[in-house]
Amino acid sequence: MIEELRHNMAKPSHAAPILELRQVGFRYPGAEADSLRGISLTVEPGEFVAIAGTNGSGKSTLCKCLNGLIPHYYVGDLTGHIEIAGLTAANESVSTLSRKVAYVFQDFENQLVRPTVYDEAIFAPLNFGYEDYKSRGERALAMLGLQHLRDRWIWQLSGGQKHLTALAGVLSLDPDILIIDEPVAQLDPHHARLIYDKLKVLNEQYGKTIIVIEHHTEFIAEYCSKVVLMDQGTIRWTKPVKEALSSVQELAELNILPPQVTMSAYLLDPNKRDYPVTLEEAEAYFRQFPLRPEALQDAAAAQLKKDNAGAVQTLADFRQVSYGYRTVTRTIHPVIQNAELQLREDDRVALVGNNGAGKSTLLKLISGLIKPLSGMLTVCGMDTRQASPEKLADYVAYIHQNPEEMFIEDTVRKDIEYFLKSRKLLHDPSFIDDIVDRLHLQEVQHRDGRLLSGGQQRRATLAIALAMRPAVILLDEPTASLDAASRRELSGMLIELRDRVKLTVIATHDMQLVAEWANRVIVLHDGEIVMDTDPLSLFSQPGLLRMTGLVAPQATTLSHQLGIRPPAMSAAQVAAAFNCSGEREEGIVQWNS
Amino acid sequence: MELLKRNVLDKISVENIKLELMRTAFGRQSTLLGKLDPRILIIWYSVFAVLPWFIHNEAVLAGLLIPMIVFTFFSKVSPLVLLIMAIGLLSEVTYIFLASFLFGGSLEGVWALLVLTLKILIISLASIAVFSSMDPEKLSDAMLSLGMPSQFSFGVSYGYRMLPILIEEYQNLIHSYRLRGKAPERKGILRLRSLLYMIKLSMIAFYPLILNTAKRIRTTVEALEVRGFTYSLVSKDAKRLKLAYLRVTWRDLLFLVLSLLYAVSLFWAGSYIHF
Repeated sequence: MIEELRHNMAKPSHAAPILELRQVGFRYPGAEADSLRGISLTVEPGEFVAIAGTNGSGKSTLCKCLNGLIPHYYVGDLTGHIEIAGLTAANESVSTLSRKVAYVFQDFENQLVRPTVYDEAIFAPLNFGYEDYKSRGERALAMLGLQHLRDRWIWQLSGGQKHLTALAGVLSLDPDILIIDEPVAQLDPHHARLIYDKLKVLNEQYGKTIIVIEHHTEFIAEYCSKVVLMDQGTIRWTKPVKEALSSVQELAELNILPPQVTMSAYLLDPNKRDYPVTLEEAEAYFRQFPLRPEALQDAAAAQLKKDNAGAVQTLADFRQVSYGYRTVTRTIHPVIQNAELQLREDDRVALVGNNGAGKSTLLKLISGLIKPLSGMLTVCGMDTRQASPEKLADYVAYIHQNPEEMFIEDTVRKDIEYFLKSRKLLHDPSFIDDIVDRLHLQEVQHRDGRLLSGGQQRRATLAIALAMRPAVILLDEPTASLDAASRRELSGMLIELRDRVKLTVIATHDMQLVAEWANRVIVLHDGEIVMDTDPLSLFSQPGLLRMTGLVAPQATTLSHQLGIRPPAMSAAQVAAAFNCSGEREEGIVQWNS
Repeated sequence: MELLKRNVLDKISVENIKLELMRTAFGRQSTLLGKLDPRILIIWYSVFAVLPWFIHNEAVLAGLLIPMIVFTFFSKVSPLVLLIMAIGLLSEVTYIFLASFLFGGSLEGVWALLVLTLKILIISLASIAVFSSMDPEKLSDAMLSLGMPSQFSFGVSYGYRMLPILIEEYQNLIHSYRLRGKAPERKGILRLRSLLYMIKLSMIAFYPLILNTAKRIRTTVEALEVRGFTYSLVSKDAKRLKLAYLRVTWRDLLFLVLSLLYAVSLFWAGSYIHF
């Protein structure tokens, strides 16, 4: 076995493609349709490939064919020919293939099986009985710059660190190909960028071939060299990045959002073949057109007027509130320091800031789940220290970051009814029917919430909250791990909430959501409120954004570079700032905003 | 009074229990027993946890209790664990007295039952001392080395890795129940109603926890497959490399010899003393 491996390694690999699939098809046992049909794909060594496509288009299934899980672990009907790093996949075992191809799962946390970072790094080489397993682990940690975390417990790590650890765990086998399944989905933009920077290093310095499953086109534009577009189990096309992302109409059909700068250029002139796909390209591109700044100023003025209407009731009143949690070493770790904040009726508040800034803690304080250590917090007229979370639940609904932690019953409908039932207030089933209809849950209302797709789960949790008829609704990262279609749907629903709920507070990293939805932004940094403003003013201050680790929407950054003042908040606004020569397609404008 | 009640209730919150558990499991303190080879410790434990059952001499039992107390003390055991044990012991002693007086038993019966309690105490203290000073990783390696199947020893260390995550999720699930449920209006005498409500929640919250865990295990199983876990079950190399660090030193032997000497001298002394 080892001999055979050496033999294969000795083969010159630069000439041949590292990955070759010819007419591959696959059907899961018992399934009615093929999950993959007629897949032909060639990847050269050292490429950085993105596989894009909607949910259920077969991306993950394709990747499982590459590391041997299909057909050795999932036994199904596999047809066609797969060749990986000179090995014919059908003749090799999972353990042989996984030494060539590393796979980092989308829910990477469940991939970590050892207690510490170092243990995780040496796990695979130890299993395969490599004598040098220790140095392999150390090397993998060094490649990713994780040496300082070597002896940390897994549960002490942040999301980004866990992802890197999962990567180190597979890198220690020194594979030729790395497959990363949706690296950005579970991470905030800052950490997502960090992961991609590391992947870039692995690709450029260590010559690894990298394949990412990704629908965040802004990352594809910046890091990848080639895009494979999948649709319903087939490969629609394989194109170089610039050409791929310029196919705006086609991506839109498959619910993939092109980068905002590409979108802006498309809106300005929909008849071109090539559009800018990165910020640098866009800056040069838009300089060709004359600026028409008055359009934006009107919009900004209108927004200001609209939001200044009337003084209203204060629903959450923070007076010098501090909070901290006790750590394993019996010290108190401060999270919120002397917060002074009034949230009022009709506020649509976005809480922003990097991980650990205290966003979730602030939401939990309002919900009454945790109590201030000092200071006074009044929510809907009640001192939260005196009121139990159950009591506050009459006014406040809190939606967890992880939807699965909200499903405490065995069907979605029972979950929605739970609040009213426990208070013996469920007299009218049509009220529940109405909510189910409104959030398009008719089809799935009798299924277990855990088994729904990401978008459906978000809708179900919103339904649970709406059925509580709250005055205040709190959402923790509602757009995390949603694809473009579900994300857009959610924004629509948040807008619909306005007439039912007095105050909505969202903790989020999603700056496009902030730009589209919020009328008030609170920036947290290291437990302190450093700014309380509206989206437009926030995005007008690049210095503050950098300091707090926020990444502004591309439209805003582009505006700064081009001197558009006030900055544009969406692709459509960028396009509107220029004199356009081509026809504007109204449908697309709607679609984007 | 109100302050005191709140203080006590705060202490037994899920958050604090979680912290205590984490301290016990991940404290990483170096203790007297922790420095020994885990295999020696397991052998030592399996002797001293069985021995008391066969001893009927109270003096010998009392003599065995002393080192256990010393080890427990030096193992820096979490107060929570000790508290739970103390409650268990106290309630047992109370129940013994009540039962024997209510059913007209004599003091002799009580004495016999107290000896039984003493045996249980020795064994519990030994278990607490050994398992709280042994890193679960070492425990799992020791079991592997003593011939347990790899799956079993991996299970121990995987449980160790999952524990904090499960506790965190459990806590969040309880929060979900609280945020939609209704607490009793009146707290009841001594807050009994509230207590009952919380106990009920803490039990039903296990159901969603189990379902969520079952779902995420799918990825874990695939990951284990691609990371060679199945391969390691059949190859000898993995086991050899993994256990290479385990070594029995003079310290371990000294510990065994001293324990043996102490036990022998106890039996010798015990034959002269009788209660």
